[in-house]
Amino acid sequence: MSFDWWTFGLQAANVLILLALLRHFLFRPVAGILEQRRQDTAAALAAAAAARQAARDAETRATAEADTLRTQRETLLAQARDEAETLRQDRIAAARAEAARIIADGRAAMDHETRARADQRLHQTADLALAVARRALAAQPAGLPGYATRLADLLAAMPAPQRAALLQGTGLHLVSASPPDAAERAAIHAALAPYVDAPRIETDPGLIAGLDLCSDTGIVRNALDHDIDRIARALHDDQTR
Amino acid sequence: MESPFANPLAFMLGPVPITTTVLTTWALMAAMTLAAAWAARRLTIDRPGRVQVVLELLVETLDSEIAGTVPGDPARFRVLIGTLLLFVFVANWSSLVPGVEPPTAHLETDAALAAVVFAAGVGWGIRTRGVRGWLTSFARPSWVMIPLNLVEQVTRHVSLTIRLFGNVMSGVFVIGIVLSLAGLLVPIPLMALDLLTGAVQAYIFATLALVFIGSAVTGDEGATPPPPQQDAP
Repeated sequence: MSFDWWTFGLQAANVLILLALLRHFLFRPVAGILEQRRQDTAAALAAAAAARQAARDAETRATAEADTLRTQRETLLAQARDEAETLRQDRIAAARAEAARIIADGRAAMDHETRARADQRLHQTADLALAVARRALAAQPAGLPGYATRLADLLAAMPAPQRAALLQGTGLHLVSASPPDAAERAAIHAALAPYVDAPRIETDPGLIAGLDLCSDTGIVRNALDHDIDRIARALHDDQTR
Repeated sequence: MESPFANPLAFMLGPVPITTTVLTTWALMAAMTLAAAWAARRLTIDRPGRVQVVLELLVETLDSEIAGTVPGDPARFRVLIGTLLLFVFVANWSSLVPGVEPPTAHLETDAALAAVVFAAGVGWGIRTRGVRGWLTSFARPSWVMIPLNLVEQVTRHVSLTIRLFGNVMSGVFVIGIVLSLAGLLVPIPLMALDLLTGAVQAYIFATLALVFIGSAVTGDEGATPPPPQQDAP
């Protein structure tokens, strides 16, 4: 067995040279690549962490803004509800006031119309009364002698049986609005002489004017109140038709 | 058949004899350097190729193994342990080339590798702990152990040498015997086994070198397994 010390020395030197060569050509570049990739990864992780933090910050801000907007929305909604309620109350009050005014106007108009109708009715009544009075007065004869003459004409115009029944009834008498004087009494007796002989004359102020013939079997109206009543009925019948 | 201890002379470089072992080593160094330079020119950060991935895996595995054995920055020992691993591996597998005898099949090469490991251990031990601290490590656990520790420093590097030499040389020798007896194709299974042995021996040599250097740095005998690492949160 031999040991070559030259070979041993050269091999040791070769190993040291190979150490330097591989360090320069292999391990340093590969380690540099790994370190650079590690740094890039760390930078990417840092950037990702920063982006994540930025996203969280943005989310926090967005959440805060959303909360603020929600609060503002609720505030605005509350204000809108209050304003709407106020406006509704105002509208209701205005509507009630308007309804009260309309009702008052209606009542006033109704009162006015009622008064106008009452006035119109009063005028019509007055006109009717005036017409009745005019016609009644136009148909009245002059004084008790005139009424006596008209009573005689009425008796003459009556059918004979009715006139006989009237005249033959008990308690036959005349009724005047005022007691006649002697001349009027004489004129009355003269006008009714063909039918009755000096009948008794009673007084009734309700007749206003005129001379009625009454008995137990009938009555012949010949007074102003009767004429007014008859004319009024006739006019009423004319108007209702 | 030549003796496994024979070291044929290739040529004389002045007074220096250049053996075929040295010549083969130079060829392997040139090939490894050219391959490393070619691979280094193709390194990229964004789109690494297959060769770059293998190299990055090698470097990261080295760093992981070193960090698991020696506390501190693994980059301190990366070049030495990586170079030893690659050289022993390439040298062992150089037997695939017909007519090439692995340099590690010769005792001078293995002794040179062990000497480098020994020198690295001494240098890193003194650099890390100082001369006094490095010397006091031989008196542990007691001053009585100083002779034994001194002898151990020699014997374990000798064993490192003999282990590599014996495994590689025996493989080459056995293949040579079988080849001379049986023919061309019969040694192929043995060659495949020799490749496996070469790879394992490269790993063992690098690991033992790391353990020895680590013990010199930390002052402990043998490897110093680190506490289990926890994943970063």
